[in-house]
Amino acid sequence: MSGRRIAAITRRLLEGFRRDRRTLALLFVAPLVILGLLGYMLRNSAVPSVGVVNEDQGPLGSVVASALESSSKISATTISASDGDAKLKDGSIAAYIVLASDFSARAQGGVIAPQVHVEGSQPNAAAEALQALQSALASAASNRPGAVKVQPEITYLYGGPNLDTLDYFGAAAIGLIVFFLVFVVTIVSFLNERSQGTLERLMASPLRRGEIVVGYMIGFTVLALIQSVEVLLFALYVLNVHNEGNVLLIFGIEALMAITAVNLGIFLSMFARTEFQAVQFIPLVIVPQFLLSGILFPVSSEPTWLQYVSNVLPLTHAVNALRDVMVKGADLTWPSLQLDVGVVAAFVVLFVAAGTATLRRRVA
Amino acid sequence: MSEQVAVEVDSVTKRFGDIKALDGVTLRVRRGEIYGLLGPNGAGKTTLIRSIVGLIAPNSGTVTVLGRKLPNLDVLREVGYMTQQAALYPGLSVEENLRFFAAINGVEGGVKDALEFVDLYARRGSVVSTLSGGMRQRCSLACALVHRPHLLLLDEPTVGVDPQLRVQFWEQFRRMAADGTTIIVSSHVMDEAERCQRLGLIQYGRLLAEGSPSEVRAQAGTQNLEEAFLKLAGEKVA
Repeated sequence: MSGRRIAAITRRLLEGFRRDRRTLALLFVAPLVILGLLGYMLRNSAVPSVGVVNEDQGPLGSVVASALESSSKISATTISASDGDAKLKDGSIAAYIVLASDFSARAQGGVIAPQVHVEGSQPNAAAEALQALQSALASAASNRPGAVKVQPEITYLYGGPNLDTLDYFGAAAIGLIVFFLVFVVTIVSFLNERSQGTLERLMASPLRRGEIVVGYMIGFTVLALIQSVEVLLFALYVLNVHNEGNVLLIFGIEALMAITAVNLGIFLSMFARTEFQAVQFIPLVIVPQFLLSGILFPVSSEPTWLQYVSNVLPLTHAVNALRDVMVKGADLTWPSLQLDVGVVAAFVVLFVAAGTATLRRRVA
Repeated sequence: MSEQVAVEVDSVTKRFGDIKALDGVTLRVRRGEIYGLLGPNGAGKTTLIRSIVGLIAPNSGTVTVLGRKLPNLDVLREVGYMTQQAALYPGLSVEENLRFFAAINGVEGGVKDALEFVDLYARRGSVVSTLSGGMRQRCSLACALVHRPHLLLLDEPTVGVDPQLRVQFWEQFRRMAADGTTIIVSSHVMDEAERCQRLGLIQYGRLLAEGSPSEVRAQAGTQNLEEAFLKLAGEKVA
C-alpha cells in the first residue's frame, strides 16, 4: 500500500468531478429535492374530508354531527344528501355519513345506525375515514345513558371492503413499471446510436429527422407493448389485482404510457453524452415524477403549489387513468378519463416534436 | 456548372465559437477523380467533409454536390460517407448492417457485391462486435458504398489499418474511380497522398495549395510531398 498512489487516485477522482457539474448536481441537489418532496407530502397529508348529512328529526343527530365536526381525525362539513355521491365521485370527500330521520328513534332502542357511504377506491383513505367516524360516534354514544350499540351501515361507491392495498397500488404499478423500463432502455440505446457514430451516418443519409424519431418510436413501442401485455396478464391473473374495467382499455392506456416513455427517452438522450449521464436522469426525472404522480400519496393531499406540478406530469394522469379504469370501472365516456388520456396523448405529440427538433442541433 | 464537376465548394467559412474551422475554402472536385485532402490533425479536413455531406451548415459560402446546392436531402442518396471510426451497429451481423444502410438509402440488393468488394462475404453472418478492427473498417467501407454512390467521402479511412489492408483499400478506391465514382479522401499520411490524382493541402482551415502530386511538388520546389507540405504551410503562416 502506497499512500501516495492512493492519494493520486483520490485526487484524480475529485478533480474529475469538479468539472462534472451534472454529477455534482446529482449528488448535492437531488437528495434535497427528493427528501423535500417526501417531507412535504408526509407532513401535509391531510385528515380525510367527510360530509355530514343530518336528517334526524330527534335531538341526537345534531349532537353526533357536532361531535364529528369537532373531531380532529376528520375534517367534517355539513352537506345535503343529494350532493353526497357527486362529491364522492369528484374526490372532494372520502366519505359521507347520513343520519337518517329515525336516527334518534333507533338510538332510543339502543342502536346507533348511521349510513356511511365510502368512496372506497383508496383502501387507506377509506379505512382512515371509517376509523375516524367510529371514534367520533363512540364518543357521541358514550354521552348517552344506557347501553348503545354502534352499527354503521357501510356502502362503497367503488371497490369494497375486500379492496386491498395491492389492488390500489397494482393499478398504478403496472403503468409505472412499463414507463420506467421503457424510458431507461430507450435513452440508453438512442445514446448508443450517438456514441458509436451511426447517428452521424444516418444524418448523412437521405433519412429525415422525423423518420428517425418515428422509426425508433415504433420499434420500442413494439417491445413495450409486448412487455405491457406480460405485465398486465401477470398482474391480473397471477397477482389477482382487482379490475373493474375493460382490459383492452387498460392495455391502451399502458401503450400510451409506453409511447410517452419512448419519446421522453429520445428527447432526454439529446442532453446526455454518456450512458452514465443518461442514468443520472433517473433520480432527476423519474424519482420526483414517481413521488409527485400520486402513486404513493394522493395528489389531493399535497400542498397546493405541488399539486400544480403534479398536474402537468404525464405519469400523474396515466396513473389516475389506470386507477379510474381498474378500481372504479371507468370507461371512455367518463370526462375524467377523457382528460387523463388526452393529456397523456398530448405529451406523446410534445415529446415527438421536441425529440425531432433537438436531433439536428446535437449531431452537428 | 460543368457536368464534369462533382463537388464545388465556394468560399465556405465555418466557425465553432471563436475558432474558424474553415476559412474561405474554395475547391472543385472533378467527376471520377480521387481527390485527397491533406493536412495535419485539426486542419479542418473533417469539417470540410462533413459540410459536403450536409452535416454542417457553413456560416457563409455554398457547397454544390453533383449539381445540387446544399442543403438537399435527395442528393445524399448518391453520396456515401465513411466516418473516421467504424460506425456500425455492433449487435447486428455484417450482412444486417449492410442491408440497413442500403435500405435507408432507398436501395435493395447490392449487399453481396459490396461485401465481395471488401472481401467480407465469407464473414457476412458474423456479428460485428466479434470482428477485428480491420474487418470492421472494411465492413464500414462496404456500408458506405452499398448503395453505389456517385460520390464517396472517406474520412481517414486507413487510420489504424495495417499496411496490407491499406494497399487493398487503395486498390479498391482506384477500381471504383475507374468505374466513374468520385472519391474524396482525407489523410495525413503522405504516401497515400501520392496515390491521389489531385490534392488539396489544408491547414488552419485554409486551402494552401491544390494540384496533382507532381504539381504540388513543383510548386514548392521540393522532391517529396512531405517537404512540399511543410514548405507551403510555412510560407502561408509566415
